[in-house]
Amino acid sequence: MQSINSNINLYYIPMTKLKTTTVGVYIHRPLDKNEVSKNAVLPYVLKRGCMLCNNSSDVYKYLENLYGASFASSVLKLGDDQVIYLGFETISDRFAPCGEKLVSDIIKLLVSVLFEPVQFTHETVEQEKNNAKNRILAEINDKRRYAMVRCGEEMCEGDKFALSVLGTIDDIDKITAEDLKSHYEKIITSSVIDIYMCGECDENAVTKELKESTMKIAFSDSSLPKSQIFTRQGDIKKVTDHMDVVQGKLSMGFRTNIEANSSDYITLMVLNSIFGGGAHSKLFNNVREKLSLCYYASSSLVKHKGIMFVNAGIEFENFDKAYNEILSQLDCVKRGEISELEYTSSINALLNELESYKDDQHMMQLFELGQKLSGVSLGIEEMKEKISKVKIEDVKNIAKKIELDTVYFLDGKEDK
Amino acid sequence: MELKYMKNDKTGEEMYTGKHSSGLEVYIIPKKDYSNTFAVFGTKYGSVDSEFIVPGEKEKTVVPDGIAHYLEHKMFDQPDGSNVFDKFSRYGGNANAFTSFNITAYLFSATSNVEKNLETLMDYVQSPYFTEESVEKEQGIIGQEIRMYDDSGSWKLFFNFLECLYHNYPVKKNIAGTVESISHITADYLYKCYNTFYNLSNMAIVVAGNVDAAKISNVIEKGVKKNEPFSEEIKKIYPDEPNTVAKHFVSENLSVATPLFMAGFKDTDTGFGGSKLLKKYIEVKILLRMIFGRSSRLYQDLYESGLINNSFSFDHTIQPDYGYSTISGESKNPKAVYDAIINEVESMHKNGLSKSDFERIKKVVWGEYIRNQNSVDDYACDFLQFKFMDIDYFNFYDVYKDVTFDDVTKRFEEHFIKEKAALSVINPV
Repeated sequence: MQSINSNINLYYIPMTKLKTTTVGVYIHRPLDKNEVSKNAVLPYVLKRGCMLCNNSSDVYKYLENLYGASFASSVLKLGDDQVIYLGFETISDRFAPCGEKLVSDIIKLLVSVLFEPVQFTHETVEQEKNNAKNRILAEINDKRRYAMVRCGEEMCEGDKFALSVLGTIDDIDKITAEDLKSHYEKIITSSVIDIYMCGECDENAVTKELKESTMKIAFSDSSLPKSQIFTRQGDIKKVTDHMDVVQGKLSMGFRTNIEANSSDYITLMVLNSIFGGGAHSKLFNNVREKLSLCYYASSSLVKHKGIMFVNAGIEFENFDKAYNEILSQLDCVKRGEISELEYTSSINALLNELESYKDDQHMMQLFELGQKLSGVSLGIEEMKEKISKVKIEDVKNIAKKIELDTVYFLDGKEDK
Repeated sequence: MELKYMKNDKTGEEMYTGKHSSGLEVYIIPKKDYSNTFAVFGTKYGSVDSEFIVPGEKEKTVVPDGIAHYLEHKMFDQPDGSNVFDKFSRYGGNANAFTSFNITAYLFSATSNVEKNLETLMDYVQSPYFTEESVEKEQGIIGQEIRMYDDSGSWKLFFNFLECLYHNYPVKKNIAGTVESISHITADYLYKCYNTFYNLSNMAIVVAGNVDAAKISNVIEKGVKKNEPFSEEIKKIYPDEPNTVAKHFVSENLSVATPLFMAGFKDTDTGFGGSKLLKKYIEVKILLRMIFGRSSRLYQDLYESGLINNSFSFDHTIQPDYGYSTISGESKNPKAVYDAIINEVESMHKNGLSKSDFERIKKVVWGEYIRNQNSVDDYACDFLQFKFMDIDYFNFYDVYKDVTFDDVTKRFEEHFIKEKAALSVINPV
């Protein structure tokens, strides 16, 4: 890690077997109702123009000249951390037919986009506000994801985590170009900014370039937002929405009561794999294959928030059957009824997944970032070693901690 | 089986190729230092192939729509009652399969036990086992899959678009068939299709990753179960397709937030594969980006007027027998976007294309090709798909370098024509 200044860190992950170099900029902000909507609009306005490329068309021509380098922006939710993300990718200099310095040119664009944006105009901000509102409305297009998002919202009602990183329509409406500009000026100098580079580059040259271009900017104190795992007392919450769909979507939220930095988290990963983490899992083989109740049934973890979701697409009338079967499979895990095949396959699936990050620059960035946020310093090899040591008995022991919290069902039209 | 070694100096890529006496074509792509190995075992058989003449027979065979996809699902059942996924899981392999319009493919990725996983792949794809009960059981699962797609706006949008472009050609039919058509599928039909299209002389296997070519080739050779290549071709029968589009517009209502649109052009310069097809592909790809790319005048105007957003994208699909380009996204006013597309194309017909745009965009196509070699999955799958069109993807540069501004101008005049255009829209309920 290279410290560019008190707020900005550069992490270089060499990966020369791939033909590209990727750069991810992660600006960390605490999930907070007062700024979540501004953060949801901001990266899209940054993308619209900077001192180097004044408008959007110039930005894209610049990228096209770099053999179609890519530049993506979005907002991510990592626990209670709202991350403003700018991602760049170019083919590595070795593959530039005319010896162009592609990586250096991408860094120049990154610096200008981050520190010299020029598009805080009324027109641009209004356009991006509209796009931001459409992203919120468009969430219903993917019913599978939508059901899980709704389940999380209901489950964490009152907790920061219930906030959507896309913001709210009302709050986005209220943003003016001046607001957004002053918000930008405030956060760009007072947030932790992690830059992950993965691929092939001269780390020292990039460090120098970043240091020089940020030298004249006055940065103030910053800290990384901390996530709290979700806890709650009381009855299981049940919520049903109605929509004009032909297939029902069941989403169940569980409290795992396990922190991302605890040693039990590794065991929880194994548990999730056994329970619903793929075609080898109990959910896939029982809910889908044996009972033909659905086309998909799987579970996933929200690492920094102590949550596990189960998602299934089912016929409306199969709700009870699917619900009961999912819980009965979890009970099997709790009783330690895990076959040797389920166990081995689950361990292997996790090892395989971790190992395959080594071929994927974006996943490597996210892996390293995830470790940093949870305060765990294990590398991929160390993680693999710990996973392979998890026993069925360990899984059984932590399974007791898992509690059903919320059951969400996306049902058909009410008059059906 | 003899292997031939090739190296591409422009990309640094290496490849070993061979042809087994069963007719199976083998491609091994070593990727130094990679953790992942990916293998795809595919047949030139997809959802469009419901009418054909089996080599040695005189009468044509007609099977229910959706059968290629159904067959793909049933290949996972094994004669001994075991589950294929379990076998892969045991070796840490991640197995999957897909059926497209023209290809059915079985694949796995693994970071260890590559040879064991490869043996499993070779074995199960050559071990069909269908009974009336097991065939019937699958109707529930596939029925759910079809219904899941019924709720998908983007899926409906796409097939409605194809319904606009094609009068008869079966690419307009749903890959999984309909709940009605799959109810006619029997074990006999499945065996008939299997024995025809899964003959190894109609198949190819591509393995990409950190592998030893000789070892991989050995596993494949040992894994061959039936060495009876067809001496003649499988004759696939497709209906006649006029050059015109069936209709210019279609819309449907579904629960989506903003209207979705897919506009596009029917490709009528068809009937060939190989380098000529690859050249067309590159030409249209360049053109699409010149006209609709992020830096284009049209994109900027539409974006700034709020008619399109970041979801706007374009694509070109090629096959020897059909092709189409698509321009899709979300818009509050799809008709206005469509009119703008047609106007822009007409104005370019009048005023000509920009040579500097061409030169800049041609670079992007090279970058895309290089970038595609990063992922063993994408590279192997694309390689296989191109192979089945007789395209040599490994030597992409040989065709790429010869694409000129004149070629692209001619292609523009032929392909981007109002009469060949159509628009599909999904409106919110």
